[in-house]
Amino acid sequence: MAQVRLFGMLKTLVSGVSILEISLPDGAQVKDLVDSLHAQYPDLGELLIQKKVVVSVNQEIAHWEAALVESDEIALLPPFAGGA
Amino acid sequence: MTVEIEEGMLVRVQQENFSLDQELERVRTRSTRIGGIAMFLGTARDRSKGHDVSSMTFEHYEGMAQKRLKEIRERALQDFDIIEALVLHRYGPIEIGENIVLIIIGAEHRADAFKACQWCIDELKKITPIWKMEYTPQGDVWVEEHP
Repeated sequence: MAQVRLFGMLKTLVSGVSILEISLPDGAQVKDLVDSLHAQYPDLGELLIQKKVVVSVNQEIAHWEAALVESDEIALLPPFAGGA
Repeated sequence: MTVEIEEGMLVRVQQENFSLDQELERVRTRSTRIGGIAMFLGTARDRSKGHDVSSMTFEHYEGMAQKRLKEIRERALQDFDIIEALVLHRYGPIEIGENIVLIIIGAEHRADAFKACQWCIDELKKITPIWKMEYTPQGDVWVEEHP
């Protein structure tokens, strides 16, 4: 199972959890993860599809065609709000 | 003359407050060639988008946030005619009026210092994985966008 970290308001969409465990098939790409999340968490999936939330893999923003393995550090990043 | 300093002290994401005097001195003493220092200090305000704010909490992506701040400092040093750049951001609970973020730029001249300072804070808002929750009378609100 791949662990997917959630930040900011995304946790409010999945009952407050900060890590989701998602099963990935061999040869999975980011878009497969998005499809899986959309099926299980429609509100979260919608934000991904609208590109309001981006996926990072190993702390870099990832394209949807990027390959994924379950040991990758995967996170979903809502719009940033640092600064003052 | 340039004074050696650990780069990690010039790019930090930390929970505790910081001293403006200490951070300014950290940049000022980097080089005797510095003739102008520009600073941006972001503080916690009690009003946001028409509602009162009683306090706030910043969440960050440990590791990635530090990498992005480091990248901002390196790009500022590369793209502007400046001598030193310091970029700090706090996380965790922050009370109204407290410090949040600090950019300090040391350059030979003011124009480059001002330009780099503005660029750094704008870029920080764009690329750094940090999120803000505001506590308001209407409830807790994750802030989603910046003007």
